[in-house]
Amino acid sequence: MGTLLETKHLKKYFEVPQGTLHAVDDVSLSIEKGSTLGVVGESGCGKSTLGKLIMKLSQPTSGQILFDGTDIVPLTGKAFRSHRYQIQMIFQDPYATLDPRMSVGQLIAEPLEVSRLVQGKQAIDQRVDELMELVGLAQRLKNSYPHELDGGRRQRIGIARALAVNPQFIVCDEPVSALDVSIQAQVLNLLQDLQRDMGLTYMFITHDMSVVKHISDQIAVMYLGQVVEKCEAKELFANTMHPYSQALLSAIPIPNIHIERKKILLKGELSSPINPKPCCRFAVRCPYATEECFASEPAYREVKPGHFVACHKVGQHNDNNKQ
Amino acid sequence: MAEHKDTPIVEVENLTVHYETDDGIVEAVNNVSFHIDKGEVLGLVGETGAGKTTIALSLMKLLPVPPSHVVSGTVRLDGQDVGVLNEHHMRRLRGSTVSMIFQDPMTALNPVKYVGDQIAEVILLHDKCSKKDAMLKACEMMKTVGITPERYKEYPHQFSGGMKQRIVIAIALACQPELLIADEPTTALDVTIQAQVLEMMKDLQRERGMAMLMITHDLGIVAEMCDKCAIIYAGEIVEYGTLEHIFDHPLHPYTVGLMESIPSLDKDVERLKPIPGLMIDPTNLPQHCSFCERCARKCARCEQDDPALVEVEPGHWVKCFCAGKEDA
Repeated sequence: MGTLLETKHLKKYFEVPQGTLHAVDDVSLSIEKGSTLGVVGESGCGKSTLGKLIMKLSQPTSGQILFDGTDIVPLTGKAFRSHRYQIQMIFQDPYATLDPRMSVGQLIAEPLEVSRLVQGKQAIDQRVDELMELVGLAQRLKNSYPHELDGGRRQRIGIARALAVNPQFIVCDEPVSALDVSIQAQVLNLLQDLQRDMGLTYMFITHDMSVVKHISDQIAVMYLGQVVEKCEAKELFANTMHPYSQALLSAIPIPNIHIERKKILLKGELSSPINPKPCCRFAVRCPYATEECFASEPAYREVKPGHFVACHKVGQHNDNNKQ
Repeated sequence: MAEHKDTPIVEVENLTVHYETDDGIVEAVNNVSFHIDKGEVLGLVGETGAGKTTIALSLMKLLPVPPSHVVSGTVRLDGQDVGVLNEHHMRRLRGSTVSMIFQDPMTALNPVKYVGDQIAEVILLHDKCSKKDAMLKACEMMKTVGITPERYKEYPHQFSGGMKQRIVIAIALACQPELLIADEPTTALDVTIQAQVLEMMKDLQRERGMAMLMITHDLGIVAEMCDKCAIIYAGEIVEYGTLEHIFDHPLHPYTVGLMESIPSLDKDVERLKPIPGLMIDPTNLPQHCSFCERCARKCARCEQDDPALVEVEPGHWVKCFCAGKEDA
């Protein structure tokens, strides 16, 4: 299908009083057209900053973002506008993203009016109806306001707004984490249907491993601004290589009382992303860390075809487990 | 619900709680009965608005009056009827017999007081001891929850979310309560931190033989932490039983629906099966089964009568007419 979006050595540093905060540090990822890349990690690992960089809501410190082969980082003004509509975003909290004084119809019409993709009142009205049907919002809700709706329906408005400008690529930043499980399943199904019918490409940012496994083709695990492991979704769960990914997987409570798992409990918490030392950032919490890990930063390398890991010890600790 | 040898730490009988609001009466909890034996962990599972927190607050007698209104029912803590106790008595119970952990650790802590002093405060209040002893005990508690006592004189903002929740747990456990109510204690935490906190709670619970009411929306946490589980929908317990009952052969369509809504980590599911429709409006509950609008297995009777919670096998209670009938 070809690559739709690619980031090359993308970095975003913030200057804070204590030093330089490495929010996104040298992230190189690529996403195939029509597929879903899941980005997982805990709070503060830089996954939302990565989403914002791709949306160009934030200017990277260095690096490239190639969209369909064009670097969109230096683009501004008119040249960028055509790309703006290709990349859209769905946010975590649908309530915070919707103007409380606009009705559902107005909210969905807004991107159409701003982009001038559809002109004329009637045409816009018709397109709003189409979009509402597409995301499963009943026509009778057109004159309702966001506060009258539940979280699932609000998220559907957010999805309709993103789809209004016919994007190719959607950054979904924790789109279901504020929803109850029964509603979450409805929204996940909707996102999958839309992808299949419209050939959309998703970057799906989440902290929920079971959601990311369900929706993704490829998964990238992030830790303190860096991608530590990336591979096919199935491969990640069948053959987890990075110790952090292993711990992350083993930490999830599974709703099954017959699966006995050996838990890898990580000691301590995320270290600070401010002025990180030139060593493996996970080393302080890693059960397999040796001197080597504290001395140098591991390279992000392809260990198996399509399976990238940044760890000095990769392969070794897996064998230890088996003994 | 079952025969019990000892007095259970909590007995709730036919509890009904309403909130009287401008938009009408919210029927938050409807005729709920359950008990927790000493040393037992009960999981209370439900979605937003199911009435989980209202049940917890009514155990602590912390419901704001108005708008809330206990319409009927009794809550007994360790044999004492909470309904007739005055505020003075309740204050003695809270913290010493029963403690509660809230979802958001930041709002539960006082931002302008040392964390250590906040732990010592509970001890001073309940155990008649000197300030110095209370401080020493507070240091002990900090060690118990895995925080070095050197951080006694620090403020909540200097701690991370997981650490703050540990402090809250230390406060809750400082006076060795017999019952701990944990209202979504790890929802605000990252998974690796959640695993640490849950592991610690489990250890402390076993060590002290403490009973626990674990309120959560995460069935995974129930599977790891609890002995029994109650599934709650629209203020009613729709299914109650041991973990084997709930996870191995759930009978209520809502429980089944919840299980199927969760993306599975150990199986590959192409498409999720969500429960159709939305949570029912609690200001306007029907006379018949409140789940029947969303139920795939409803029959004519479900739209006329409200089923009772019946024991379908020893210890397994289900509130459904169709439960156990194989074909849908």
